[in-house]
Amino acid sequence: MLQLLINGLIAGSLAALIAGGLALVYGILGVFNLALGQMVLIGGYTTWWLHQVMGVSLFLSILGGMGTGALLSWGVFAVFIVPFYKRHRFLPLVTTIALGMILDGLILLAFQESPRSIITEGKMPIRFMGTYLNLPQMIMIMLTVLLLCLFAWVMHGTAFGRRLRAVVQHDYAAMSLGIRAPVLHRLIFIASGVLAACGGIFIGVDMNLSPTLAFPLTIKAYAAVIAGGKGNVWGAIFCAYAISLLEQLVVGVHWFGTLYIPAGFQSTVALLVIILFLLLRPQGLFSSTTRAA
Amino acid sequence: MKRLALLTVTSMLFLSACQPSAPTTIKLGYIGPLTGDVAGLGVDTLNGVKLAVDTVNATGGINGKQVVLIAEDGRCNGSDSANAAQKLVNVDKVVAIIGGQCSGETLAAAPITEAAKVILLSAVSSSPDVTKAGDYVFRDYPSDELKTTAMAKLLTEKNLKKVAIISENTDFAQAFRTSLKAKLGAEAVVFDETVDAGTKDFRTLMTRLKTIQFDVFIPDGNSDSIIGPMLQQFREAGFSQAAVSHDAADSVTMAKNLPAATNGLMVINTPSSVNDPAFASTFTQKYGEPQYGLAFAGFAYDDANVLFEAFKAVGTDGTAVKDYLYALKEFKGVSGTFHFDKNGDVVGIPYVLKQFQSGSIVKLSDISVD
Amino acid sequence: MTFFLHIVAMICILLFPVLGYNLVFGKGKIMHFGQEAQSIVAVYTLLVLTTQMHLSYGFSFFCALLAVSCVSLALAWLSLRLTPDGFGVLSIALQLMFLAVVLNWQSVTRGALGISGIPRAPWPEAQGLFVMIMVSSAVLWIACMWVIDTSIIGRQLAALSEHPWYGEAQGISRRRLHIIVFLLSGVGSLLSGAFYSSYIAFLSPSDYDFPAMIFFVMCVVAGRPGSVRGVTIATILLVVLREGIRFIGLPIHLIGPVRLILFGLILFVAVWIRRDSLFPRQRTV
Repeated sequence: MLQLLINGLIAGSLAALIAGGLALVYGILGVFNLALGQMVLIGGYTTWWLHQVMGVSLFLSILGGMGTGALLSWGVFAVFIVPFYKRHRFLPLVTTIALGMILDGLILLAFQESPRSIITEGKMPIRFMGTYLNLPQMIMIMLTVLLLCLFAWVMHGTAFGRRLRAVVQHDYAAMSLGIRAPVLHRLIFIASGVLAACGGIFIGVDMNLSPTLAFPLTIKAYAAVIAGGKGNVWGAIFCAYAISLLEQLVVGVHWFGTLYIPAGFQSTVALLVIILFLLLRPQGLFSSTTRAA
Repeated sequence: MKRLALLTVTSMLFLSACQPSAPTTIKLGYIGPLTGDVAGLGVDTLNGVKLAVDTVNATGGINGKQVVLIAEDGRCNGSDSANAAQKLVNVDKVVAIIGGQCSGETLAAAPITEAAKVILLSAVSSSPDVTKAGDYVFRDYPSDELKTTAMAKLLTEKNLKKVAIISENTDFAQAFRTSLKAKLGAEAVVFDETVDAGTKDFRTLMTRLKTIQFDVFIPDGNSDSIIGPMLQQFREAGFSQAAVSHDAADSVTMAKNLPAATNGLMVINTPSSVNDPAFASTFTQKYGEPQYGLAFAGFAYDDANVLFEAFKAVGTDGTAVKDYLYALKEFKGVSGTFHFDKNGDVVGIPYVLKQFQSGSIVKLSDISVD
Repeated sequence: MTFFLHIVAMICILLFPVLGYNLVFGKGKIMHFGQEAQSIVAVYTLLVLTTQMHLSYGFSFFCALLAVSCVSLALAWLSLRLTPDGFGVLSIALQLMFLAVVLNWQSVTRGALGISGIPRAPWPEAQGLFVMIMVSSAVLWIACMWVIDTSIIGRQLAALSEHPWYGEAQGISRRRLHIIVFLLSGVGSLLSGAFYSSYIAFLSPSDYDFPAMIFFVMCVVAGRPGSVRGVTIATILLVVLREGIRFIGLPIHLIGPVRLILFGLILFVAVWIRRDSLFPRQRTV
């Protein structure tokens, strides 16, 4: 049982990284980003390339991966989002589908199909009270928590965070008070890109990267954001952990007597969360208060 | 703009249709997944065919005619494969097609090649449905029947009775699972789960496996990108039971990436070096390490060569080649010395047992399947 | 010639769901990305009943029609109940859900192996004749869509998409319209599935994944959303382009990625050109 919790924690950290960034983007800009999964992969693949092909040290490679994530999301924001989202906030939905196809093609061209692992040395698990966890996973979970704490501090402890929250609550009102909302929008998008790249690095270290992972990652992040409530970053992060844990419980626990739910249905947990929440509680678990003018 | 696009496209079609079909060449078609989940498989088989074509062309071609290879992307699904087959058969007028690789590709292309009396020779399709797909449909990939017989024999020899199997939900892995279950009997399979294609988190299944008594674990994935994490998480969970897998796991990349987790893993595979020990080194020299496995490239290589032999003997007429292939006594290929039965399925492919030993793959013994 | 006929057949097969989808997404601006959910239900009901349970084609077709109508009605109800972006995500989730069920319910649907050896049964065996039937049905379908587009339904749909409140204030029933357009798109899916499965003689779940849905979106966006003529032309051009890429003579290993990138760029350019008309801004007073 404890092991199930740990499994959920591992999967949840990954989901939380990706969903946290998405929650900001979707919550503030109201922008859909269906190329999120591809951005995750590019971050991971760059790190793999730097570390395994170019021989750069792991730490620098990870920084490089995150930097690429930032640059990529900056470019994406300038080309695929800004020219469109002021016209209609649904337009980026279609442009990011196009972006996803382009990135898919580029990933295939640049990195080919065979699986890529960032770390190839043996990862020996540490055993504790009948459970196990390996070192990279432990570091990853801690880093995720650290990153989220940093995020919390920025959001709630700094003047910058106050401006950010002001933009979240009301775009135009914030702008009228002298906050440069467009700049913040760009920063938010870049932050989500960096978080996505971190997710990719996590996948590359813990498992391996292959070109077709992208779309399921995007869907799971949306599930967390919808369940958490639009614009509520903490809700999204909490729900990312919750959904991951639920996914583990669905296949890991006896539900009907001796019958298990077939593992093939594991991925439908996220889908069901989307469907049920939208039907029964469209405002999400923790609805955020949007101030209306 | 629309008119311009129309113009470009029509002129493109027109130009290609007007290419003079020189009688000095033989056109050979190829269908396989070059994009999507299993693109690595397509790359390997295509390179296998390319190698055969280059070799035969370098030695003067077939009766003085050079072989031209025309490859199409079947994307591992029905509609793209059907489009590709239509194009190869009716526009390029190929004399035979090597493909499809995914069973779905083969099954969708079969009615088209069947109607046009063009040989369809598959290198990797394992689905039982391919047996009945048509008269002109052949495969030199042993159906799962044979593979699972070899697997069952190995398990009996090693006295591994209770089997735990995790399968990916793809036609390749599912066909194997169904066939293996039929061979071993339902009570021998104590743990049988199917996961979504592309899943890489098996930790909870491993946790559940803890409560079950089993002798051997069979990771049944479509490729090493799935089997790798499966094994890694299996060993991390602290299991010491043996692990056995099939040809998809026979990957040098996986051995290099996960030396500890794959240590001791046994795989059954076809040898890909039977009548030509140098095949592996020639292939690697030219195309680098195979993305999925050398065995698949070997089957495709044999496909091309058996067709070339038929062309040399009876020319390129579809029906003549078909009759030749059915009547063929034996063909010395790199995957084995084989012939085809009355359904166009291959007979005579041997299996070898290999083991992963701290980062390298070592051949242990031959498995004879009768 | 045979290849040409084949391309024509593929275009006809695509036109049914694309034009239905055009009515929902293009004309009605309903954020629907689950057209393939309807297709999956329709084609699997039809084929499981005919090939696995050996029922008559007519009866199975009727059952499939019922099934797809139920799904379409459910989608229509959801589209009324949810916010536009909520419905967009929900429809994607529904499609993936149906796909997961089809893949995992192996005893009935044969899972990833797909259903093979589908008979041409109610349709003629000869390719030429079959394609003729498809073309005439497609022409009929286009005409049907065109009539609907120019009729009161089309105009009401356009009015609603521009401003739902004002539209309703004019006495337009949003519920009635949504039900009509979703049912029509469902029928399109069923017709396409029936023709497609008999034509290819093989059905695999991978033909109904999300990239297939993206192709519908591309056809509608590139052909001017809501315009029957534009979307028809765009569908024809895109299919011809998709197959035409095979003739350029690119190095083989580049074809796949290049096609992805090219289609991504086409979609991007199409949205760029239509960035003002794809989702019209609400008229304000």
